[in-house]
Amino acid sequence: MKKRLLGVIDATTYSENLKDLTPHRSVAAIPFGGRYRLIDFILSNMVNSGIQSVAIFPKYEYRSLMDHLGSGKNWDLNRKRDGLFFFPSPRLDKPVFGIDSFEHFAANIDFLNRSTQDYCLIASANTIFNMDFYPVLEWHMEQGCDITEVRNAGESLNIFLVKTSLLLELIHTRNETGYLNMRDVVKDINSPYRLCYYPYEGYALTVDSIDHYYLASMELLNPMVWKQLFLKDRPILTKVKDEPPTHYSKNAVVHNSMIANGAIIEGTVENSIIARGVKIAKGAIVKNSIIMQKTQIGENCILDHVILDKDVKVESGVSIAGTKEVPRILQKGSIAKGECVNT
Amino acid sequence: MLLAGGQGSRLNSLTKDLAKPAVPFGGKYRIIDFPLSNCTNSGIYTVGVLTQYQPLILNSYIGIGSAWDLDRKDGGVTVLPPYTASTEMKWYTGTASAIYQNLNYLHQYNPDYVLILSGDHIYKMNYELMLEHHIKKGADVTISVIPVPWEEANRFGILNTDEELRVTEFDEKPKNPKSNLASMGIYIFKWKMLEEYLEQDNLNSSSSHDFGKDILPQMLKDRKNLFAYPFKGYWKDVGTVQSLWEANMDLLEDSNELNLFDQNWRIYSVNPNQPPQFISQEAKLTDSLVNEGCVIKGNVSRTVVFQGVTIETDAVVKESVIMPDAVIGKGCLIEKAIVSSGINIPDGSVIRPKIDGEILLVSEETLEEMVTN
Repeated sequence: MKKRLLGVIDATTYSENLKDLTPHRSVAAIPFGGRYRLIDFILSNMVNSGIQSVAIFPKYEYRSLMDHLGSGKNWDLNRKRDGLFFFPSPRLDKPVFGIDSFEHFAANIDFLNRSTQDYCLIASANTIFNMDFYPVLEWHMEQGCDITEVRNAGESLNIFLVKTSLLLELIHTRNETGYLNMRDVVKDINSPYRLCYYPYEGYALTVDSIDHYYLASMELLNPMVWKQLFLKDRPILTKVKDEPPTHYSKNAVVHNSMIANGAIIEGTVENSIIARGVKIAKGAIVKNSIIMQKTQIGENCILDHVILDKDVKVESGVSIAGTKEVPRILQKGSIAKGECVNT
Repeated sequence: MLLAGGQGSRLNSLTKDLAKPAVPFGGKYRIIDFPLSNCTNSGIYTVGVLTQYQPLILNSYIGIGSAWDLDRKDGGVTVLPPYTASTEMKWYTGTASAIYQNLNYLHQYNPDYVLILSGDHIYKMNYELMLEHHIKKGADVTISVIPVPWEEANRFGILNTDEELRVTEFDEKPKNPKSNLASMGIYIFKWKMLEEYLEQDNLNSSSSHDFGKDILPQMLKDRKNLFAYPFKGYWKDVGTVQSLWEANMDLLEDSNELNLFDQNWRIYSVNPNQPPQFISQEAKLTDSLVNEGCVIKGNVSRTVVFQGVTIETDAVVKESVIMPDAVIGKGCLIEKAIVSSGINIPDGSVIRPKIDGEILLVSEETLEEMVTN
């Protein structure tokens, strides 16, 4: 296994439905769960499955993604041989929807040619799950499949296992076949390849809209869900920060919340996800919300159903409310002033 | 040169299998994170760590020093254990003997100055300012000192100085102290001077090979330039269960001088990479520090909680320190205790001191006798 499987993360996903969270970052780099970014789940799953070589193909706004991944050290992927490889799209002048993953892979074909792994696991970067891919490879070989697609409750997770040689063939013949990506191949009922479906039974949620982002975040508060995601022997790894433990003051009131390190909680927090380094001042009430890194919430603010991106500043006394269906989003670095900011 | 070989015997079972510098502190750290982070933050990137007592956990914790940004092409962190030489076995018999036996390490770098630190204290200090002071005073050795309360001065090594801060006398645990400036065990030496005195001390069979007892008094006798460097700020020797508990409680004070949240003087540590802490619907959590990977369902106040701890429903935990991966069972009452790493306290246990002011240390060995339900 260790030397047999190459990980390919297709981080080119763009979703119009997530645009409020992606003005300066790719979908793969959206912060999640107080200390993670979406890509941490697929990347950790690959590493925990024994994959030692991972190639990441991003297309849009990848500064934050590169900053997050660094040398790959946090995933133990800073290796002399193999490790983490980063292949930004070489053609930024092309229209954004014009090139798809096979075109993108083709631009970096040398890497795939040089890889020594016989099999390739191709996955997108925006699914929240904790999965071991070793059984998928065993299944793939046992069943004699050409392409194995991983499915959860009958839906594709956009994870495909193929022989590296087949992937190369698909890339080389893309102009004749018209296949632009793996999904095109598996959707074509006339394709000559033997297609298998591998059923994954555990928790999985693909984040492709604000609805799903909010849902997946709130589901983290369900012990049945977080116990499936955060396993001791298969940890979700992320870029570590040197934040101190979180400080809860004498007046803090906290219920049903997930809170990362380095936060200072002086107010009330309920049913919320609080990221690293967030400050919630005295008298503030935060409910049903997602507060991202280093955001500061002033005294006596009332926030309900909001998603505050990184480095937002909510001045004292401000109230902001969204609804369960339409959470109110404040973009990175914004400042909320005034008496009442309601949707 | 960071002296990290101490046993810390007054910490009882906490240091049974662990050197004192590796004792957990502050919900996330180990004691040695403070001097190591101070080094990095002061721009010192060549650090020898001298280990001897129970070094396994300490050695693996330090690793190649990447947590403190001390994995360097030149210098970086080097763990220096005692070793056998062609003629003898060489245990470190005192602080000076430990450095003497690593003169070869120092020769490799041939520095202008050598900073000697101990791995036993909690403090944030810019060693660069101390070096500036050392150079400005034209000192052969500079000793960092901190004012201690007069009534406690008899517990410390006290330095008497003139108004220029020149050291005139050492008073080890004086009955009638003339000054309240206590040595912090932090020294800057001119390298050549250090080498000379260590060589000399090694030949002296009546020496205990200790900086405070032998080297510095000898230098004073020889009329070398010894200066004190007064340090302002938080400094605490966490050598006893009581003082370790106190130092943890100090972190909960709003006005605590050891601000762990200071971005400009980060205390670095090996990060466990655990999920965020989960605070349940029924939990009550106030006036506490809580680290990653914890699940808090009970009532927690004035407590420092390390990574991976579970506090079950209806448990009440007050004024305590819960070390990594401990589990506090349902309905427990824990008060004024340090609960050691990995301890599983059964449901309904009551642990609180019988004597006022006592701090309990709960370990595998003491768990049964301490439960009073």
